[in-house]
Amino acid sequence: MISAPVRRPRGMRVYQAQALVVALVCALLAINPPGADAATYTKISGSGSTWSANAIEQWRRNVRQQGMTVNYASVGSSVGRTQFANGTSDFGVSEIPYGLTEFGQLDPPPARKFAYMPIVAGGTSFMYNLNIGGKRVTNLRLSGDVLSKIFTGRLKQWNAPEIKADNPKLALPARRIVPVVRSDGSGTTAQFTLWMSKQHSALWNDYCRRAGKPTPCGLTSYFPNIPGSGFVAQSGSLGVAGYTKQSQADGAITYVEYSYARNAGFPVAKVLNKSGYYVEPTASGVAVALTKAQINNDPRSANYLTQNLDGVYTYGDRRTYPLSSYSYMIVPTKEEANFNKDKGKTLSAFNNYFLCEGQQQADRLGYSPLPKNLVEAAMAQTKRIPGAETAGIDINKCNNPTFSGGRNLLIENAPYPAACDRKGSNQCSTGTGGAKTPTDPSGPGAGTTGGTGTTGGSGSTGGTGTTGGSGSTGGTGGTGTTGGTTGTTGAGTAGTTGAGTAGTTTGGAVVDPDTGEVVSTGQGAGDASVVASPVALGSGDALGLRTALMALSALLLLGVVVGPPLVGRLLANRTRRKGGVA
Amino acid sequence: MAPADDPPRRLHPDRGVPDRVFRGILRGGGGLVLAIMLLVGGFLTYRAWQALSLAKWDFVTTEVWEPEGGNFGIAAVLVGTLLIAMVAILFAVPLALGTALYISEYAPPRIRQTLVSVVDLMAAVPSVVYGLWGLFYFQGHVLTLSRWISTYFGWIPLFKVDGTDPADPLSTATVYTSSTFIAGMVVSLMVAPIICSVVREVFSQAPVGEREGAYALGANRWGMIRSVVLPFGKGGMIGGTMLGLGRALGETIAVVLIISPVFVIQPHILQNGTSSVSSLIALRYGEASPLGMSALMAAGLALFLMTLVVNFAASSIVARSRSGATSDS
Repeated sequence: MISAPVRRPRGMRVYQAQALVVALVCALLAINPPGADAATYTKISGSGSTWSANAIEQWRRNVRQQGMTVNYASVGSSVGRTQFANGTSDFGVSEIPYGLTEFGQLDPPPARKFAYMPIVAGGTSFMYNLNIGGKRVTNLRLSGDVLSKIFTGRLKQWNAPEIKADNPKLALPARRIVPVVRSDGSGTTAQFTLWMSKQHSALWNDYCRRAGKPTPCGLTSYFPNIPGSGFVAQSGSLGVAGYTKQSQADGAITYVEYSYARNAGFPVAKVLNKSGYYVEPTASGVAVALTKAQINNDPRSANYLTQNLDGVYTYGDRRTYPLSSYSYMIVPTKEEANFNKDKGKTLSAFNNYFLCEGQQQADRLGYSPLPKNLVEAAMAQTKRIPGAETAGIDINKCNNPTFSGGRNLLIENAPYPAACDRKGSNQCSTGTGGAKTPTDPSGPGAGTTGGTGTTGGSGSTGGTGTTGGSGSTGGTGGTGTTGGTTGTTGAGTAGTTGAGTAGTTTGGAVVDPDTGEVVSTGQGAGDASVVASPVALGSGDALGLRTALMALSALLLLGVVVGPPLVGRLLANRTRRKGGVA
Repeated sequence: MAPADDPPRRLHPDRGVPDRVFRGILRGGGGLVLAIMLLVGGFLTYRAWQALSLAKWDFVTTEVWEPEGGNFGIAAVLVGTLLIAMVAILFAVPLALGTALYISEYAPPRIRQTLVSVVDLMAAVPSVVYGLWGLFYFQGHVLTLSRWISTYFGWIPLFKVDGTDPADPLSTATVYTSSTFIAGMVVSLMVAPIICSVVREVFSQAPVGEREGAYALGANRWGMIRSVVLPFGKGGMIGGTMLGLGRALGETIAVVLIISPVFVIQPHILQNGTSSVSSLIALRYGEASPLGMSALMAAGLALFLMTLVVNFAASSIVARSRSGATSDS
């Protein structure tokens, strides 16, 4: 086997040396495997909420550079809880805890040992797709009552007086409201229906009754969909957001985490809070609201750290976004169901990353960072994970905006809503969510109509200086008159300098507000007839009756040309065959 | 011929060890597939028993799905499943037949292999990709067709769409979205490659002698195809279609992404809202209650049986056809 017998001693020595080298390499590999960083973390996988999925997705991409592989399937909170309970995932993410009753069905806690820890805060926002005169509305305001009526099928048209009351400056079209709800088991649905059941229980119970569900019904993860009610159900946050943003979904509104609206580039509705202000679910609005969230502070309770949001819904601070909530991770606290210390090490390192570093990105991602007390509590929960790393974590180095220097800067610096966000005032024109383009219609005079054409009309009235010509047509008396008397004042309020200044200089001409050009539309000075409510028509004309008739006539022509020879040949064939047989 | 006292020597073919091992592996593999099938069926029946014993025959006739109230059935989802599969087959079969004919009869040999790979690649695309494409891109383009059909053929109950008024420019286009029609069209793209590869295989087996014979009798290529290839491949076409149907019945994620589930029998295929068994299971899997889970298992069992029947029918048709049997020429 090893060379000749004469050289055996040397051969043995070589063999021994080789063995030694092999053993050494093995030992080295065992102690310090190559790519030490890459291999020290075992791969873990979790599943659950789509509400917080955008944040988790970003965090898991970030920790990949540190050699951690964290897989996350955003399949909805309900499936996340089930998979964690079945032991098929290493961690779950859910907005609501186990043990809640939905339509009389208890969601039992799993047999395996677990703990909850908050991961991020955010606002359940109402993303909508609404166009007036071919332009997207970005500054819609809705009160809780209206929202509940929309999602319980009581308001069916966008031009309902209730919506008009919230948005006095929008010329809302007579378009059908299409509520888009979640078809899968979802924590977002649970948060939204919980809010409805607490704040607008009459409407919500009425809807449940019509849907054939037992009442009084509290929260549910599965939004009951009454067939034929015009609701659309889609799966996942991405599904509802993706559906809402499509051009054919004009008039759709959905509930989804704020980050999805931002990513989709779509606006969200500002929601009325208890102090009478319409607020957007920004990081600060959510942070202020959640100061009133009651956190279960009993470490022995099974629901330690879970939230009670009743105080959030009714908090009187002007900056409050009422539908704010925390999202939770469900972590195992015992080695069972395929969970071991190695996985625990990865999970704890991941948790410590996002509780500290990750929170800095929360605002940018469309969420709101956790406050200090919850970060501390969550880190304490992380320590309960088997195999958790405990050394080298300094919470004070977190640079979390909610507790730099012992002060919650996020709340201290939270901007107060502008005067135009107050209930009853003329709404702000600034955009919301992912659509930051201001909505023109809120300009004076033009506000009532919203279309470019109409704005031109208002410019004309402004120019002629007829007394309140635009005001009367538009229905926004005050500002309309201002625009009418002096074009320059109109410009000041409108922010569209083109309209106002052009109005002053060119007098009776009709002016395009965007370009400032004089448009000779033939409509005379002060002609207010243009103040109609322009609406985008459906694409019905693309394949309308004319096209159908054209297609039909083309077919007929083809038939006339091709038909006779074909029929003739067929007949000839038949006679020939018959002749052949006979 | 041999004398009675001299029977032929009995042959003992020594198969040899490798042969026997190979035979054993094959036999084991075949047996394992059967065993797994039986286990799947047994498991589903076992888990579904609770729900089935509660609902009894109402399970087949009830439309709503409310396991928490003890009121659930698969009438609506089963009809939805079948309708989606029918639409899918309606679009997939012409597409697949045309592709298969072109590849096997018309395509120049140089590009034939590439085309085969491309079609196979279509089958390899994950269904979630089709679903996302269908939801974000395709749906918006089909709406025009849906609107047109419902406007001019709405008098046929199948194409009726409630809640729309062609005369009202503000009527929402959302009534045409998330429909059986769109889901079926997306599923058809997933089914077409399967049908295509089965049919192409059968077409290419059409006996050369008969082809030559047809040409000798003066047929042109299309005449040869009509008189030889298509009759020969009839069994394969039916079998492939039914295999495709089997897959269309079970298609899940793409359907989940597109449809808006409703639990009523929805015969209007252009109308928003439909349902299918597999999407019901995917969406309600998070359902907490044991009865709900059991009901889902029962729905799964129904789908399993339905797919089994379709596939068995397909395989028997293929086997009995001329092209499916061992070639006789």
